[in-house]
Amino acid sequence: MSRALLRSVLELRAPVTRLLPLSIRPTTTTAAAAPAAASVRFFNQTAQHIEPTTQPDPTIVANNASPPDSVRTLLPILAAQPGHYITLLIHGRPYLVTQGDSIRLPFKMPGVEPGDVLRLNRASVLGSRDFTLKGAPHVDERLYECRAVVTGTESEPLRVKIKKKRRCRRKKTVKSKHRYTMLRVSELRIREEAVHES
Amino acid sequence: MTIRALKQISTGRNGVGAFVLQCKKMDFHYCDWAGSSRGMNGFIKSLLPKFVGSHPQVEFSVSPRPSKHPVIIAQYINGREKAICVRNMEPYEILKKAELLRDASGEQLRKVTKPVQSINESVRGVWSPYHGNGMQV
Repeated sequence: MSRALLRSVLELRAPVTRLLPLSIRPTTTTAAAAPAAASVRFFNQTAQHIEPTTQPDPTIVANNASPPDSVRTLLPILAAQPGHYITLLIHGRPYLVTQGDSIRLPFKMPGVEPGDVLRLNRASVLGSRDFTLKGAPHVDERLYECRAVVTGTESEPLRVKIKKKRRCRRKKTVKSKHRYTMLRVSELRIREEAVHES
Repeated sequence: MTIRALKQISTGRNGVGAFVLQCKKMDFHYCDWAGSSRGMNGFIKSLLPKFVGSHPQVEFSVSPRPSKHPVIIAQYINGREKAICVRNMEPYEILKKAELLRDASGEQLRKVTKPVQSINESVRGVWSPYHGNGMQV
């Protein structure tokens, strides 16, 4: 099925009302799009302008919208529990940490010195003993504050790889000694006031 | 029942409260006669003053070590020390080695498989067969 036809069929299932500028006219229409509702459809529209009329997913928080009911009611209880953990995403890789943990990143971060404070704003899960806030795909960064201190750069021991083929006496030696940046999670705080702000 | 406090040994976690640089002293040894110390001599004259000025928490000492290769020795808070021989290096290469020593903790180099190291107990608790939804057999 062609992409235009598929889109029209999907729009038929969930009809969408859009605010459209009057000067632009559609270039082509397919048979499936013709018997639709009074709204005019284009094939080059981007998804972010569509306001869905279907039931909104409760875990998704739009940029300027207020948090869903489950977040509003349960976040204070999550914050009141004694321990919290967060799954930070650093360059897309997850690290499940609590406050005071040390993280060894699999790379050397350029441009940082020991003592620099990083504010981490990408997390996928924020949890406590009985409650978990799952982001879709990320937790709204206004709901927490997470800071990490760069404690230094560690190195692995020297690794030597010897490359040699059978029945050939020549050996090639490759040395590796990678450096890794170490972080210490100095602060993990859940911001309850963010629920009341929006 | 009387309420008793739980005995807990305080563990320092550098960075959570205040951050303390692990390198406490750096010695720079040079030689006026050896050709391998030319870069070190240039480093001491040109780049060392700025490096020292930007690290007030580290003790620096510069002393000649005649007829030997130039070397940088760093001492750390955990009592260990690391030495890097900087023979035949240019001043900027020596600066990179000095920064390497400043960034390091004094720990021995070891291979670490897991990225996160923690002394906190688990947030969600250890699994028990007697709590939760149980198992259907």
